[in-house]
Amino acid sequence: MNIGVIKAYTLKEFKELMRTRMIFTVYALPLTILVLFGYGIRMEVTHSRILIIDNDQSKLSGELVEKFKHSKYFNTTEANISESKALKLIKQAKKDAIIIIPTSFEKRLIKAQKIDIAIFIDGSFPNRAHTIENYIESVIINYLQNYAQRYPTFSTNIIAINPRSLFNQAMRDEDAIVPGLIGLALFVSPAILTALLIVKEKEKGTIFNFYASSINKEDFLIAKLIPPFLLHSVSVLILFLIAVYLFRVPFRGSFALYWFSSELYVLVSLSVGLLVSIVTRSQIVALVLTVIITILPGFLYSGIILPISSMSRESYIEAHMFPVMYYNHIAYDTFLIGQGLSSKKIVLYLIILMGFACVLLNLGWFLLKKELKK
Amino acid sequence: MAYLEVNKVTVLYKGNKIGIKEASFEANEGDIIGFIGADGTGKSSLMHAIAGVVKFEGEIIFDKYAYHSPKEAEKIKKHMGFMPQGLGLILYNTLTVEEHLNFFASIRNLIMDKNFKAYKQKLLHMAGLSRFTEREAGHLSGGMKQKLSLICALIHKPKLLLLDEPTTGVDPLSRLELWEILDSIRKEEGTIVIVSTAYMQEASKMDKLLLFEDNGIIARGSSKELINTVRGNTYEKTPCESEDCLELYDTTYSLKPLKSKHKEPTLEGLFFVSALKNRKKLPEISVSQRKEPLDIPPIVMEAKQLTKKFGSFVANDRIDIKLKRNEILGLFGANGAGKTTFIKMLLGLYPIDSGELTLLSQPIRSGRDRQKLKSKIGYVSQHFALYKNMSVRENLIYFANIHQIPTHETLKRIERYAEELGFSDYLDAMPKDLPLGINQRFSIAAAIIHEPVVLFLDEPTSGVDVIARYQLWQLLRLLKEKWGISILITTHYMSEAEYCDRVVLLKDGKKVADDTVENFYKKHPNANNFEEIFLEYYKEAN
Repeated sequence: MNIGVIKAYTLKEFKELMRTRMIFTVYALPLTILVLFGYGIRMEVTHSRILIIDNDQSKLSGELVEKFKHSKYFNTTEANISESKALKLIKQAKKDAIIIIPTSFEKRLIKAQKIDIAIFIDGSFPNRAHTIENYIESVIINYLQNYAQRYPTFSTNIIAINPRSLFNQAMRDEDAIVPGLIGLALFVSPAILTALLIVKEKEKGTIFNFYASSINKEDFLIAKLIPPFLLHSVSVLILFLIAVYLFRVPFRGSFALYWFSSELYVLVSLSVGLLVSIVTRSQIVALVLTVIITILPGFLYSGIILPISSMSRESYIEAHMFPVMYYNHIAYDTFLIGQGLSSKKIVLYLIILMGFACVLLNLGWFLLKKELKK
Repeated sequence: MAYLEVNKVTVLYKGNKIGIKEASFEANEGDIIGFIGADGTGKSSLMHAIAGVVKFEGEIIFDKYAYHSPKEAEKIKKHMGFMPQGLGLILYNTLTVEEHLNFFASIRNLIMDKNFKAYKQKLLHMAGLSRFTEREAGHLSGGMKQKLSLICALIHKPKLLLLDEPTTGVDPLSRLELWEILDSIRKEEGTIVIVSTAYMQEASKMDKLLLFEDNGIIARGSSKELINTVRGNTYEKTPCESEDCLELYDTTYSLKPLKSKHKEPTLEGLFFVSALKNRKKLPEISVSQRKEPLDIPPIVMEAKQLTKKFGSFVANDRIDIKLKRNEILGLFGANGAGKTTFIKMLLGLYPIDSGELTLLSQPIRSGRDRQKLKSKIGYVSQHFALYKNMSVRENLIYFANIHQIPTHETLKRIERYAEELGFSDYLDAMPKDLPLGINQRFSIAAAIIHEPVVLFLDEPTSGVDVIARYQLWQLLRLLKEKWGISILITTHYMSEAEYCDRVVLLKDGKKVADDTVENFYKKHPNANNFEEIFLEYYKEAN
């Protein structure tokens, strides 16, 4: 290792980054990802437009309708129209769901007989439909629970259901999404910068300064990796601050673990960028390629949209091939749970991340040739 | 044993495309070896092999150390300086001159002591860059960039210096200065310098020349020796009688003795004689008379005080140029002198900042004024704006369609041009598979498919070999004679001035001379060639 060469190259990179103003884009990308997606992705459904046809018009059915009216999740209207007319409103996309309370609602409830409440939901967006369905069911169950408390003689098994989400009791979307976004941002951004720093020299021709001199491959690589690594170490901190102070995501784990795993993960991302830079010759191709191989899996396998454990077999295997999943597991843990190193899985995942870094960096070192590609 | 020995070096590219085939030569300490030849003849491939930046077959021995691959070359790279082809290619645009020298010193593991500082000052002084140490490389002129690249390659006092076309596109004065640096370095340090160049005039400055053609070395020797080999074949212009003869603009080359007087031979002659010896027939170029005589005003183009600014940089400074009917006007100047800017203003590709422009008696004030003239103007850009994924024929049909020429007429014209300009065999080939010379003629066919009355060409001869360049000029003169059109052409090959009727010289965005070729010679009786005449203007202006 030749410190003089590394120092000269590293300094040169920093000067170029500052003078070409590229330093701004270095931070613009992860910040945009976090802020844009953090505010942009909303899993919960509020103000869904529902229509209730109360055929019973009794005191108890009226109480149920009131429950819906007082929920922030629904914009409830009540009308006395035929079923077919109501269904037309769904077709016209004027309502998201229709609830029909049967005529004998109060009577059957008092006698603790089975009641059929009809619920029609616009299923054009399945996810949304499921969510609305769940909300409606919760309201009804909640109503029955209250009823049961008032009339202890009433008993039915339905009440046994007790939906409650763990770790994210408030069901806040921010908590569920932001740590995953950090995993996405730290995967995309360092890879792009690294790829560009090397390909830029190929495109301009300055790569000859490396090819035609006695600089070692490893010195060149170290010098090329130091600037993106240092710059993104700052990103690790900035993203943490935004998550905790802007999005108010709780932080229950150890900061040291978050910091260490993030740095390790940045190293993995750098090596992905390094590999891209070896196969590409122009900056634009390098950029597009890096975006494709980082953003798509980074998002898909982040666990934001779908938990890995509930994926189908193929995507479950694919998810395990990308580093995103491992880092995100650790990130979610440090933010929301806080098991830290007491969890064997986290220790294993840290080791896997180290493996990724080692293998990819060595592969990059091996594939980098000090000669023109023919 | 020679200090540098190159033995049967072959470089192959993808698909067994030959870069250079079995090239061998030797060099001793302090030698300046010149690689001369057109683009794509293998000069760069051989340089890359010696520099150890490309895989090759064969053996290279440097200072008793033999290497056969880039990996083995690693050991001697500390003794080597390499400057690849391209203006300022190895420079970082946002670093200053001073930072460059320090960076190159660091990556070469130099200790920055007193001696180093003194040497650095000396190099800066030689390159004339002492005053510009704080300037960023991106803001240097082409010549300054090349001088900076050269001193960066020299900072570790290499024993072998490889320079791939260091003077291409550099103004004549900077070129002279570059040569002065090289000469003093090789004398003081005993460095072997290998230089490739497209300028034949520079050949006389080298100890030994290697002539490249068809990816091999076809001749070697000192400039004088080489020129003497064709002395017997060079004659004053005489009509040819036999097959082994070539009649050019002002010279005739023949393998058989002719009755006419011998003429002083040139290095260019070597390429023509070599073509004759290889029985390579130059395609006969002809242009048929136009059907209808043209109605062309006596002044085709008139620019008055034309000015173009990019920020604070004045690219064209109050330029007055007239292009007359039936005239070939050469616009000369180094890179960055403002030639391309001027042509782009004529074409409306850049808005005119101030001044007046009249094209074909039509004052140009708006885009609409130009619209009417589009069918009368032809343009060949610096980079031959052809579509890479369409064949030659498809490209030509496309250009004809733009000008709304009826299809049957288009097809007739394509056949005729292909025949006359000698690219019939390549009609269905893709532009990237064509030799540069063919590409260039076909670009011209694309520019004249709509039979314009004025033709603008931006550096059409850059990188094209001697013979193709000659043929291009032959074509332009024929177009002028047969069609009566006017041609404005830019070039940085000063020797091509001979083919022009009138020459305008630009320097730093200003017009410094404008006269007929004869008058230039009258004003400068001591000059042997145009290069020297222009040099005087450059020196004067400085």
